[in-house]
Amino acid sequence: MDHYDILIIGGGAAGVSAARAASGRRVLLADRGPALGGVLLQCTHRGFGNNQTGPEYMEHLLRDFPESVELALNTTVLSVSPEKTALLSGREFGRREVSFDHLILAAGCREIPAGALPIGGTRPEGVYTAGQMQALMNLRGYVPEGPAVILGSGDLGLIMAKHLAEAGLEVTLVEKKDSCGGMARNRRCLSEYPIRLLCGDTLAVLHGEKKLSGCTTAKGVYLPCKSLLIAVGLRPEQELIAHLAQPEWLTLCGNCRQVHPMVEAVVQEGKQAGAAVKKAIEVCL
Amino acid sequence: MKQYDAIVIGAGILGCMTARSLRRWNISTLLLEKEEDVCRGITRANSAIVYAGYDNKPGSLKAALTVRGNADMEALCEELEVPFSRCGSLLVAYEPEAVPKLEKKLSNGRKNGVPGLKLLSGPEAEAMEPMLKKGVAAALYAPSTGTVNPWLLGIAAYENALQNGAEAILGREVLAIRPCPEGYQVETREEVYQTRMVFNCAGAFADRVQGLAFAPEVKLKLDGAEYLVFDRLAKKPERVIFYQTQSSGKGITAIPCTEGNLLIAGVRKDMTIPYATSPEGLVEMLDRVKELLPETDTGLVIRSFGAVRPNPYRDSGESIPDYVIENPAPGFYSLIGVKTPGLTCAEGLGMLLAQRGAEYLSAEENPDFDPKRRGISEKDNDILCQCEQISRAEILEAIRRGASTVEAVKRRVGSGMGRCQGSRCSGEIARLLEEYGHGSL
Ligand SMILES: Cc1cc2nc3c(=O)[nH]c(=O)nc-3n(C[C@H](O)[C@H](O)[C@H](O)COP(=O)(O)OP(=O)(O)OC[C@H]3O[C@@H](n4cnc5c(N)ncnc54)[C@H](O)[C@@H]3O)c2cc1C
Ligand SMILES: Cc1cc2nc3c(=O)[nH]c(=O)nc-3n(C[C@H](O)[C@H](O)[C@H](O)COP(=O)(O)OP(=O)(O)OC[C@H]3O[C@@H](n4cnc5c(N)ncnc54)[C@H](O)[C@@H]3O)c2cc1C
Repeated sequence: MDHYDILIIGGGAAGVSAARAASGRRVLLADRGPALGGVLLQCTHRGFGNNQTGPEYMEHLLRDFPESVELALNTTVLSVSPEKTALLSGREFGRREVSFDHLILAAGCREIPAGALPIGGTRPEGVYTAGQMQALMNLRGYVPEGPAVILGSGDLGLIMAKHLAEAGLEVTLVEKKDSCGGMARNRRCLSEYPIRLLCGDTLAVLHGEKKLSGCTTAKGVYLPCKSLLIAVGLRPEQELIAHLAQPEWLTLCGNCRQVHPMVEAVVQEGKQAGAAVKKAIEVCL
Repeated sequence: MKQYDAIVIGAGILGCMTARSLRRWNISTLLLEKEEDVCRGITRANSAIVYAGYDNKPGSLKAALTVRGNADMEALCEELEVPFSRCGSLLVAYEPEAVPKLEKKLSNGRKNGVPGLKLLSGPEAEAMEPMLKKGVAAALYAPSTGTVNPWLLGIAAYENALQNGAEAILGREVLAIRPCPEGYQVETREEVYQTRMVFNCAGAFADRVQGLAFAPEVKLKLDGAEYLVFDRLAKKPERVIFYQTQSSGKGITAIPCTEGNLLIAGVRKDMTIPYATSPEGLVEMLDRVKELLPETDTGLVIRSFGAVRPNPYRDSGESIPDYVIENPAPGFYSLIGVKTPGLTCAEGLGMLLAQRGAEYLSAEENPDFDPKRRGISEKDNDILCQCEQISRAEILEAIRRGASTVEAVKRRVGSGMGRCQGSRCSGEIARLLEEYGHGSL
């Protein structure tokens, strides 16, 4: 079994920043995807750093990435044990168990799916999470059918509203709170495109036998639609360590510790995590 | 015109089991299903419980089939390589007035031959299932109750039927049935088939399908039920918990599924749209869960769905408690109104139908019948569904076996059933489907 000073799970902005800061020690960085970047890779909008797209921002994060960090791409970490070992499943190398002294979990977050919400009605095709649609459109060139309804007007809901409006779809945003959420720069799309915003309301019922035909809000407004995007929030991806009792060898950073709206904060947290773990190791030596 | 000895209408679990059983004889069999995949009807949305058999009236066909179906389920699931768990169950009562009901069920169950039934005191039940709200008055413990994945059992029976020479056409709705001297002509939009026998296993449509040829004596009134699925991380009881509140007559059932999720079955309700849930129903169910299993984290729900229940009744309005095989004319058999515990009894009912058919045709046994179906076990290290850790090889095998949509793949290997509900893997699965010649998203 190979041993590492530090195993980092997740190669998004957080994991990459942690790996940079921890380099010099024996570090293994594992990510499920074929490339480093995590969610940044699907964000083609210019919302990062210095008016960059997600991939551009990632390129900048990866400049002079330390060669000493061992990468395991296309690799899913299946489990972590209390004995400080992890089971990896890699497309190229197969199953592999490794041991480590420290674990940095930078696994990001996942979206709350429609199923988790108390929405009644049928379960037709045409219901997605916002990030799922972002990936489908930006990475696979898919264009959903309009009209579209987006539940949740946070940053992700707004980014997708703009995206769909740009693709020519009629879009309605439904927001439970009394006013639109999200950052000012993401709200701009509301004045630039004919996006309808329904505040103080939520979705109650979905309609459609096989394919989505519409939805009804709690206040009884019927919205015909062929696509519904759920953008009601993100959950830190912590299930891998749910069975562990916060051991001192474990550090969380980025969206998997707490959901951050801005990538800079994620990078900062990753850096700190990497540096702190490296220091802890060096103090012990 | 293509000719068959038997046409089975409807590929729910009953149709699939019937087709499989028919192939135990040399009976050429065609299975017709109107949906694009099998087990998309009642079989896709139910409680997944393998009932012990204490609910049913002693001496009834239902009681006999349930107790036998329960006893045989291990062997069946081994043959078909479908997960089964004999987890046991508790029927709990909190009001002392409800205890006589449990005693009645105990005595019923004993008459029916249900093994191991025991009436537990409140403290005994609470010790057995520490998650239960305190204050149990009594509980009926049935160690033989189990859980199984209903659609997987149906799909497995379907695959085994095909493996044994049955033919099947999906996406083909039976629109007319005409008696003729040789038997029946069964019409679909695309084709007409000639058959000596018809087995009507059309689930919620079975009365109408019989009506295509003969006036059905049994009609169906549909109502519904609602379900919640919890994340695998949610704490769950070890056994199935049946809970009926005395006052409102409403209750829930908590089911630890073979996949590791907690499933909550809600109460019966009127049905307006098939398989739809109501926002009020879902909220009410969450309240009930909190009431029965107070430690449950209700934030861990990952999915909800609705079910359709076919309730059989006669023209006189009288409802029909037992299973009846309608036989309105020689060679025509109908199962109308097979509701709970139809899953438990599916193999038994399929066998009964097939035996009737074999007798009618004086058919010979099929010496080549092989009851064994291989589950999907090919795995590689390329994990596509991270929540359920399903690999590319499993998904490709499901596609090879005929899955043509993301949903069909999901129901065969479990991809997309986890906490993100397929929001991360369905794009790649759709791409693979396209690569292998099936439509897009
Ligand atoms: C849709 C969306 C849009 C955003 N838009 C903006 C914006 O416009 N501007 C801005 O400043 N910020 C934006 N953000 C916020 C910020 O960019 C992200 O929060 C940040 O990129 C998250 O980085 P992360 O490393 O924490 O997570 P992620 O980028 O999600 O990285 C986590 C990585 O871990 C991998 N992983 C998880 N589990 C495992 C495992 N078991 N085994 C192997 N690998 C695993 C994942 O595949 C992923 O690659 C956005 C966030 C989202 C979700
Ligand atoms: C709410 C609920 C909970 C239940 N829980 C349990 C349980 O826990 N344990 C248990 O043992 N049993 C349970 N049952 C019972 C069990 O689910 C059913 O008895 C069983 O699934 C019925 O299967 P089926 O094949 O008759 O119906 P279906 O699965 O509906 O199959 C009928 C098929 O016929 C097709 N069809 C209809 N018309 C035509 C046509 N004209 N041409 C071609 N095809 C057609 C339909 O598309 C469908 O696929 C439950 C039932 C309900 C309703």
